[in-house]
Amino acid sequence: MRKTALVLASALAGAVLSVAGAGAQERVVTIPGFGAKSGVLRVFGVNSEAAMKAAAEEINKAGGVTLGDGTKAKLQIEFLDDRCNPEEGISVVRRIASTNAFVAVGPTCSSVAESLFGILQKKVGDATDSGLQFPIISDVAAKGGLARISEWAFRNVPNESDMYKSLLTWIKAKHPELKTVFGGVEKDFAHSNATFGVMKKHASDLGYQLAGEAEWLLADTNFANQVRDMRRVSADIVAISAHPFTTCGVLREMARQKVAPKLMLGLTSSSSLETLQGCAAEAEGIIIPTAFAPVNAEAIKAAGLVAKMGGSADLHSAAAYEIMFILKDVIEAQKVMARADTVVEDRRKMRAGLAALKTTKGLLGPVGRTDEREAIKPFLFVHAKNNAWKVLHDPRS
Amino acid sequence: MQAGIIDFLQSLADGVLFGTTYAIIGIGFTLIFGVMHKLNLSFAAASIGGAYLSLALLAVWRAPSLVLLATSAAGGAALGVLVFLSCFRFIRADNALAPLMATVGMLLLIDEAIAHLTAGVPLRYPALFPDVMLDVGPMMVRSDLLFVFAIGCVATSLLMWLLYRTRVGIATRAVAQRPVAAALCGIGIGRVNATTFALAGALGGVAGALTGTAVGVLSPLLTLPITVKGLIVTVIGGLGSIPGAILAGLLVGGFENIIQHFRGVSERDLHVMLLLFAFLVFRPGGLFAPPAGRD
Repeated sequence: MRKTALVLASALAGAVLSVAGAGAQERVVTIPGFGAKSGVLRVFGVNSEAAMKAAAEEINKAGGVTLGDGTKAKLQIEFLDDRCNPEEGISVVRRIASTNAFVAVGPTCSSVAESLFGILQKKVGDATDSGLQFPIISDVAAKGGLARISEWAFRNVPNESDMYKSLLTWIKAKHPELKTVFGGVEKDFAHSNATFGVMKKHASDLGYQLAGEAEWLLADTNFANQVRDMRRVSADIVAISAHPFTTCGVLREMARQKVAPKLMLGLTSSSSLETLQGCAAEAEGIIIPTAFAPVNAEAIKAAGLVAKMGGSADLHSAAAYEIMFILKDVIEAQKVMARADTVVEDRRKMRAGLAALKTTKGLLGPVGRTDEREAIKPFLFVHAKNNAWKVLHDPRS
Repeated sequence: MQAGIIDFLQSLADGVLFGTTYAIIGIGFTLIFGVMHKLNLSFAAASIGGAYLSLALLAVWRAPSLVLLATSAAGGAALGVLVFLSCFRFIRADNALAPLMATVGMLLLIDEAIAHLTAGVPLRYPALFPDVMLDVGPMMVRSDLLFVFAIGCVATSLLMWLLYRTRVGIATRAVAQRPVAAALCGIGIGRVNATTFALAGALGGVAGALTGTAVGVLSPLLTLPITVKGLIVTVIGGLGSIPGAILAGLLVGGFENIIQHFRGVSERDLHVMLLLFAFLVFRPGGLFAPPAGRD
């Protein structure tokens, strides 16, 4: 009996030692992500997390990331929920910053990013600024110019101003007969509002006549008044700056009131599966610029991997996928040590590395970087056709 | 000038028809308050939950409209009983705050459960009625909203019949008016309360399905605005008054649409809140109470 116990104890001790030994050889670096994983915007967080995990798995399969001391480390993703709430977002990042993490990816909502970037140190090296010195790179928050808030803030989101300028210029050349635009906006959503301003500015610059505009709120369900205004002016183009729930509501009301403009434009975030699930028939023909579509082998592979992780690859989650590869390159280039005693230095290195980037690899091609820590991403124009998003035009062609 | 009048009438008609769903939600709130003198803030969430449950049926069987409506009602009733058991049944009757807070928790729980199960993605809800516009002179009326209005009227009539012409209704009203006397007469208070929750839940399920069919999609985004509108309707109609809830639902629907027409969406909810404020100050008992108030 005693002999058996001794054998078992030895076996157990051996197993524990072997696990510890393996742990010593194989280091793990945790990359925290955060975004909306509850509430009505949960799908954004789910997709971002899936994309980050899919990219991490690819990186790990290829051997992982090489740290500053030459050891290889596997990447691991920990995704936290900020509920698309600014206070919650700040709290989540403070929690992340209290660990050994040297960078974080997020958030989902522009309103969170705006508040969150505000608590970061504005200028690097400013001893009078006690703001948080922690690099954050955003994958989804799309409102223009947010990274300008702090030198610790970075984004890999498309420049919507460029996208809509290019789209409207292309439409102008292709359909010179279209003269008037009616705009509709989801007034209580920062991204929709900002993009609506962009749409209006470029339409006006290009000589389009703004025939009218309508407003509604994110949770609205009745759009009869707004669409009646739309019907009255009978504009050539209807531009809708809203997320899928109200985009579908408006499109359905347009179908009811037989409002059939010659062309419809939508918000970048609506070039998603949600719109097709909600109102594929009514959305038929709507044109949206997007920074992701599975149009090449790499993008198709990424879309498949993200789907395997339980998400969907769209312009937002594809950005999260790309970010993981950007982080790997920066970790290696900056010789990040990823140790408890080098956290402050690692964060500084990550910030410097991200700020020094001039181009990065993107799923649709090379992505430029601006001095204001924003991305210049390639984009396509897609349109809803037969219950799917099909590429309508590649502005690079 | 004439176009302005037509627009006004059109906005009023659209709003009043859409207000049917507010009215049904208001009835649910008021029914439970009338019987238990307690507010169930999770009622609208459970109603939308019922509609989601009917979508689950649709995933396995292409059910006809009426079956879908019945499933939503059954789902709403089941969730209603669940809310009763978890938020009211085992909490002391003299504790007014605990069940109220429990129903707030239940509202968030149901909302979040829906968000987790659907990832927050809006799901298409089938049109239960033909979705065409009827030309009524210079105005257009949504036929599906007319159906929603009709079903709302039928559901409310059924409820009134149940409350005033059946033994269950008599027991419910007895518990609402004199609970101790009702108990002394042998009426099971717990059973009546559970039945009330099931009834209100079934009505809520119908409202959820009607909202789904009127909007065309279901989303967790719907629960909070409907809860707020339902509460406003309940207060304006008079806590505990079913005819008041009906009238207030139509009134709020029409009022908010007219305000939206004249003042835009940014001011719409502000004016609805002002309307509520005016009622609380000048007629705290609601539409169907004497001006001095119900007390």
